[in-house]
Amino acid sequence: MKLGIDDYAQLESPIHQWLPKYKLIGLTALILAFSFVQKLALLPLMAVTTAMFYQTARLPFKFWRQRLQIPGTFLAVLLLLLPFMAGETVLAEIGPLNIYREGLLAVVQISVRFVCILTLGLVLFGTAPFFESIRAMRSLGLPPILADMTLLTYRYIFEIGDYFQSMRTAMKLRGFESHRLNWQTLKHLAALAGSLIVRSYEKSEQVYKAMLLRGYGQNMTVIYQPKPTRRDSVLLSLTLGLAAGILLAEVF
Amino acid sequence: MHIPDGILPAPIVLTGYAGTGLVTWYSLRRINRQENPQAGVPKASLLTAAFFVASWIHIPVPPTSVHLILNGLLGTLLGYFAFPAILIGLLFQAILFQHGGLSTLGVNALMMGLPAIAAHYIFQLRYRFKITQVNGLAILGFFSGAMGLGLAVLIFFSLLITNLPAGLDVRTEQAAITGLALAHLPVVILEGFFTALLVSFIYRVKPELLPQR
Repeated sequence: MKLGIDDYAQLESPIHQWLPKYKLIGLTALILAFSFVQKLALLPLMAVTTAMFYQTARLPFKFWRQRLQIPGTFLAVLLLLLPFMAGETVLAEIGPLNIYREGLLAVVQISVRFVCILTLGLVLFGTAPFFESIRAMRSLGLPPILADMTLLTYRYIFEIGDYFQSMRTAMKLRGFESHRLNWQTLKHLAALAGSLIVRSYEKSEQVYKAMLLRGYGQNMTVIYQPKPTRRDSVLLSLTLGLAAGILLAEVF
Repeated sequence: MHIPDGILPAPIVLTGYAGTGLVTWYSLRRINRQENPQAGVPKASLLTAAFFVASWIHIPVPPTSVHLILNGLLGTLLGYFAFPAILIGLLFQAILFQHGGLSTLGVNALMMGLPAIAAHYIFQLRYRFKITQVNGLAILGFFSGAMGLGLAVLIFFSLLITNLPAGLDVRTEQAAITGLALAHLPVVILEGFFTALLVSFIYRVKPELLPQR
């Protein structure tokens, strides 16, 4: 099983070469600044900035399009309803329904913010191996228990996903079909989830013993922290400056 | 059932992060008070992965199907480890599937995580009422699961509707929240039954997985 957020982590680009720790600080600040934006005049600046980052990262357009599909559906439903539900100034009437100006503007605002933040998230996590991103979070003070849990979860999601696929295939081969909702179906599906949980628990006991044998818990963690280059610092300053500029423009 | 990026105003986003920081800090403090906190890390991590995968199970509700959230069960099995587990699960949902979002991670974690902790306390009532039989545990499991999802649904729609940029009037807001929450009642009950079945399955197959006091 493969979910492929870091499929393009090996490409060559200034964003790929940016020190992960600095990239995390810079892009997170920019994402937070974007979430502050309410003024419509700032939306084009957000869109251009995002497009520049994505272009500089040299990530393929296909990757962006695929990633946008699933969350886009939820948003599309909301955005279809909003112009009819929210606002006071009627722009047009379609039969018994009114289209409100405020609702329509809210649609534009939400869509641009959503696409820009999602795209920056792809740039952030799509341009470095996932383990590097977690290491960067750890170096920024992520508590060890959270860092260990994140790494272990990531390590085993794919394996447990494969267990799940084979268990589901085995159920289908034995004639199980889950088209109707009844007590029997619910019991079978609960047994599937339960088996998955029990298998994962048993695996976790083996993993813990293996970790202990390798010295887990001996406080010998050394976090390798590469030194930032001049380019890393310049990129960080530019991104933080941009985030601060957007915030100031929003406030004043 | 995650709030995507771009919908909530920045003060709510920041409050979400602050609240999540606080609850994570408190959860880690409770975890560190345990005799050997590191022993729980692999268990919590692999169960986080298992719950992440188990949420792909779709229950048929003709003409469609629904997927499970299982935050109540997570709280039931992991106790205070449930909050960091949910935070990590949501981070993966946001990064791997773009469900939820990076800016709304804090809000989503509170929305799912606080009901999970409440579910943990509901299941711990078995000690107060000295419940040791499988049926009693299944009933507690039902309430943990239903409460876990029920509270999350209520928080989800309250946040979504009260924070739409072009506000609705108060009456419409209240009607929408009540209506949407009631529409999810069958799913909440379904999640409760599923959790009850899972608790009885685990009790029969691997009772040591159920948390001790």
